[in-house]
Amino acid sequence: MRKFKIIVVENDEDEQFFMKQGFDTSGLFEIITMVRNGDVLLEWLTDNQATLPDVILSDLNMPGKNGYDIISGIKSNPTYTHIPVIITSTSSTKTIVDKCLNLGAADYVVKPDTFIEYVPYVENLHRLIENKNLVKDSDALAS
Amino acid sequence: MQQNCNLLLQNIKEAILMLDKDGYIMYSNPAATSILGYTPDDLINNHLTKLYGDKEEAVKADYEIRESLKHGKYQVEGWKYTKTGSQVWCEMRLVPLYNEQNIHVGYSCTLLDMSERKKREIELRQSEERYRLMVEGVRDYAIFMLNPTGHIITWNEGARRTKGYSSYEIIGKHFSTFYTAEDLENGKPARELKIAIETGKYEEEGWRIKKNGSVFWANVVITSLFNEQNKHIGFSKVTRDLTERKENEESLRQSEERYRSLVEQVTDYGIFMLDERGRIISWNEGARRMKGYNPDEIIGKYFSIFYPEEDILNGKPSHELKVAREVGKYEEEGWRLRKDGTRFWANVVITAVYNYDGALIGYSKVTRDLTERKEAERALRDSYERYRQLSEELKIINEELTLANEELEQFTSIVSHDLQEPVRTIKSFLQLIDMKLNNQQYEDMQIYITKSVNAANRMKELIQNLLSYTQVSKKEISEDEVNVQELLNQALQNVKTSVDTTNAEIIIESEVDTIHGDSIQLVQLIQNLLSNALKFTEAESPRIMIKCNKEDGQVKFAISDNGIGIAEDDLSKIFEIFRRLNTRKEYPGTGIGLAICKKIVDRHRGKIWPVSEKGKGTTFYFTISEEKVDKLPILQ
Repeated sequence: MRKFKIIVVENDEDEQFFMKQGFDTSGLFEIITMVRNGDVLLEWLTDNQATLPDVILSDLNMPGKNGYDIISGIKSNPTYTHIPVIITSTSSTKTIVDKCLNLGAADYVVKPDTFIEYVPYVENLHRLIENKNLVKDSDALAS
Repeated sequence: MQQNCNLLLQNIKEAILMLDKDGYIMYSNPAATSILGYTPDDLINNHLTKLYGDKEEAVKADYEIRESLKHGKYQVEGWKYTKTGSQVWCEMRLVPLYNEQNIHVGYSCTLLDMSERKKREIELRQSEERYRLMVEGVRDYAIFMLNPTGHIITWNEGARRTKGYSSYEIIGKHFSTFYTAEDLENGKPARELKIAIETGKYEEEGWRIKKNGSVFWANVVITSLFNEQNKHIGFSKVTRDLTERKENEESLRQSEERYRSLVEQVTDYGIFMLDERGRIISWNEGARRMKGYNPDEIIGKYFSIFYPEEDILNGKPSHELKVAREVGKYEEEGWRLRKDGTRFWANVVITAVYNYDGALIGYSKVTRDLTERKEAERALRDSYERYRQLSEELKIINEELTLANEELEQFTSIVSHDLQEPVRTIKSFLQLIDMKLNNQQYEDMQIYITKSVNAANRMKELIQNLLSYTQVSKKEISEDEVNVQELLNQALQNVKTSVDTTNAEIIIESEVDTIHGDSIQLVQLIQNLLSNALKFTEAESPRIMIKCNKEDGQVKFAISDNGIGIAEDDLSKIFEIFRRLNTRKEYPGTGIGLAICKKIVDRHRGKIWPVSEKGKGTTFYFTISEEKVDKLPILQ
């Protein structure tokens, strides 16, 4: 099992807490950092160019730079454009999903019904990344 | 006396011969030599037969001599033969001569050269023959002669065809045979002959009768004939059956009449004729209506009367006729003048008109007043413009609707998302509590409950804000005259708690007394902006400046703070519903306040925009009409 380095963008502190538990329990990801919005994410990336993540998982609705802003920000920057951005949200509205994919999101994953169901969510996320081969080997090797 | 007689015989132009009683020539005069070529020596002691050419003619000569003796004179015209054998047409007169004892001694023979006259006669006859043949052969005209009393004496083929009589049936009959009973009763035939004699000719068209009793329309010319002595010798009568022509003429006349009445009655087109020099010779109703002239005013005038002065100076009227003459037709659109001097835009077609012989007899001119058409076109264009404008408006409305629709969709999805979020939080903690209780773990229980209550409160706040947002969108807005000072006071009163707790300084500079709009919404607008100004601040004492002045016919408000400011990238996002630029923890809020502000200003057909510098403060400007304006409908 390959372990992916991930950054989680989530503004809700409680959600962050349970997400972290889910990721930690599964052991499938290494959380590099958890940030509360796009502004903080982009700041972090700027400051940590040497240790870029394999994948970014981001909430959609956040104060400040939201999920859409993050997709655009990552995809428009040559340094980050190779990093897949997966959007996660409670909404499964098709227009929103389409909008994210059109902007350049690698995928869209609906959040679990409650915070305590994050382990299967994380397992599913890992499966998805591998199946779609979202993270190139070279990236993994380079890291 | 003897000498005189000799002189006479020598010089007379008639040939004079003296014959003995047996017919032998005893004497010939010089004229005989000149006519016949024979000298006296050639003739003397020769029989008169010598002049008859052929010996066998002697019988004839003897007969003629005898006849003269019998009757005392014999005169005949005929060929006599010269010495060279050529013929001479002579009138010969033989008279027996008696001496004083009344004894028959011989004959005198005088010969008159008639060759010239004969030649003329022959020519005349030949010519007459030609004419006769010609006349006989003419089939379309009845040509015949009448004697002075009006009886028919010749009859040609045309007469046979026209009237149906063969020559043997009609010759000798009186020409009145061809006249109708009525004409006969009126003595018309005799009258016609009388007129012909008196004036040389009688001509008329009238009904005549054929052999079979049918009538035909005839052109009749009766010419009285006189001989060289000016003696009336009869009449020639030429009759032509005009029935067919009459029918053609009649149909032509009717056709012409139809067209004429048609043309005259046409009211939409000015149709009139010009003579070859461009003078008006006919005028229809359409022309009268279009140009305002009655026929009696305009007929005889040059058609250039319809042209503006400039055209006349340019020689346009004559140029148009020239073109029509050269190519058959001239067509154009241009200005023409009415009688009252006003102009109308006309379509003009001038066509050269020729008679059957191909000679130009004038022009037809058809004029159409296009002013109406132009007006119709303009109306059409205006109408098109209106529709285009309408279409543009519809497009804009459509865009607005699309936008509104998108906004609505975004709204519902965001609402569902944002409302789900606290529900999910509450549900998550309740499950967690449930799990912990099952496992008999009681730590953190208080925290989980507090978090759930907070989530429920947030949800309540969201729902309240949503309601207020939809109120702004849906409610019919009133158009109150709003006192600016009162408006600001009301808004400030509503945020009094925040002002007091933050110890904020509020400065008001208003140059405007009243504005028009929905007072409740306007209060909410200002209240929201003040609320934001008070909220997003790190200053010890927030300082808020409210300015209000007239600008470009509108009232411009400016609400400035010394708060945290907005990053340039974020300026475009601030009016999005549920868009929060800052975390709830730092600056609590639902992200609806500015969306409501925008909605209110939109519905008042104003504008709202921020000017900000991160860390220095923000100024929100918005404009509201001082006077009443059409407010945006509910839809938007």
